[in-house]
Amino acid sequence: MNGIEIAPCGPAALRVTGVSGDRERDWRTVHHLARGLAAEAPAGYLGSIPTYESVLVEFDALATTGARIRSVVDALLDAIDADAPLSERPRRFTVPVVYGGEHGPDLDDVARLTGLDAAEVVRLHGEPTYTVRCLGAPGGSPMLDGPAFPVPVPRLASPRTSVPVGAISVAGRQATLTPAVAPGGWCVIGRTPLRVMDLTQEPPVPYRPGDTLRFRAIDDAEFARLDGAMLRAEEVLA
Amino acid sequence: MSGALLVTESRVAVVTDLGRARGPALGLPVNGALDQYSARVGNILVANDEGAPIIEVTAFDLAFTADADVLLAVTGAPMGVRVDGVPRPMWEPVSVRAGQSVSLAGMTEGLRTYVAVHGGFDVPLLLGSCAPDTVAGFGTVLAPGTALPVRRSIDPIVNPYFDMSLFNLDVLVPYLGGDAIIDVTDGPDAEQFAGTADRLLREPFTVTAKSNHIGLRLTGDLPVRRSTEEVISRGVPVGAVEVPPGDELLVLHRGRGVTAGYPVLAVVAPLSLDDLGQVRPGQRVRFRHSTVEQAERNARLWRDRLDALRQRIGTIYSCLGVAAQLGLPEAVPSAAADHTIAWEVHS
Repeated sequence: MNGIEIAPCGPAALRVTGVSGDRERDWRTVHHLARGLAAEAPAGYLGSIPTYESVLVEFDALATTGARIRSVVDALLDAIDADAPLSERPRRFTVPVVYGGEHGPDLDDVARLTGLDAAEVVRLHGEPTYTVRCLGAPGGSPMLDGPAFPVPVPRLASPRTSVPVGAISVAGRQATLTPAVAPGGWCVIGRTPLRVMDLTQEPPVPYRPGDTLRFRAIDDAEFARLDGAMLRAEEVLA
Repeated sequence: MSGALLVTESRVAVVTDLGRARGPALGLPVNGALDQYSARVGNILVANDEGAPIIEVTAFDLAFTADADVLLAVTGAPMGVRVDGVPRPMWEPVSVRAGQSVSLAGMTEGLRTYVAVHGGFDVPLLLGSCAPDTVAGFGTVLAPGTALPVRRSIDPIVNPYFDMSLFNLDVLVPYLGGDAIIDVTDGPDAEQFAGTADRLLREPFTVTAKSNHIGLRLTGDLPVRRSTEEVISRGVPVGAVEVPPGDELLVLHRGRGVTAGYPVLAVVAPLSLDDLGQVRPGQRVRFRHSTVEQAERNARLWRDRLDALRQRIGTIYSCLGVAAQLGLPEAVPSAAADHTIAWEVHS
């Protein structure tokens, strides 16, 4: 397949990157590739981490070689329909958010850095219907394309040692929410009272790449009322 | 019959395995034993699958009492192993009787020691693995008072002549003192460090106290990233060498967040990752350039050694007449069958 770069990452991983110039197409390609590899499960294959336009393919260097995995990747790439949607029926999620204050300590900084006022940052963040691009660190965060800020948002000069569960954050031209407590260098602009991680489920988070997600501004009273509830997909009438 | 290990002393010890292979695709790090070689050998020595649950002891002493007869092996960083006060060797199977106490004390070098028990442990799994995940808040941590269920008890196996060593297999034991020599291959983004990338290889780096299972932080003459463009989040391999803002080199280990936005300068070879799982804060690390082909050859050599060890172990357990009890095939190679019988099995 054209428009693909494959680079070894040591003897136990390959990075496959879509460089077609069409981000949507590259995104679909790398996720289709990850699903194809999971279905084919060649000997020694461990798993894949598909993200926006690249996928890291991991394997056991004690059980196979990069060349063997590469040949499976090549065959799958030849067979992939990069125009096929990731999901025929994406599920929808709505995430309630309290913006600013103690829950969003970086909201004013983001406003300053983007030349907007805080209300405009909140409006732009709440406007789009986001597509879940991939599951990332920490703990299966839904990685989203960022809101339409005029400039990318710099990461914190000094990352926080601990970002709470439910933090709503932005960095560069990306946005996400945090399912689990972890260190983080992204700007935290709000917090959701909903829990997203359930270790008794596989996968432990309810959304998957291709699903859609919206943010909805709420007040402290609603935060208290929803505190600890699980994020679930909305009922979709068939 | 099964039993339990009753933990009497423990500071930093967990039950782990070779890692959560299904995790990274779902945003969870692979985690698992930071010295995979020592963990694999431990399990092989007690006739387990290499991926069976195993105790990982970090730095501090561990003591427990077995409430059933168990077969165990201690591998990894050197510690003084005693059973009811009597010194026992590491890197060999050790038969422990019900009621006996086992202590691991005084780690002299390295950082992580493994205790494998035949049959493994009955512990909760997440996505098929018991490996602790500190971010998800999952895992089995050993503390004084913990009763760790053992899946299978095994009648004592005794060497009647010396009652000391069951058998010495001459396992290749990693050397953990001095400077660690760490093989790296070029990372996919090495060109972003053009002109300074080779600083990684020139002078040794020193491991800082901020290092953990997520990654090691090292000080030294840092390569400088030339580009300043925002890198969009993407999957990063275990072993990725990065230069984040600040004054430290970052080498990601098995607890790494699966996605990040920093360019990857180099990737540590899998066998060298085991060595990095054993280096202490203050210890020096020298990075040595390797190729993917060389790293693949080394990995195959390692695999062959582990396979050969498993075969020798199987032969010896067969000769001792305990293969069936250990769940191993009974087939005894004829050449080995002649030197049997020196030991007996007490049941």
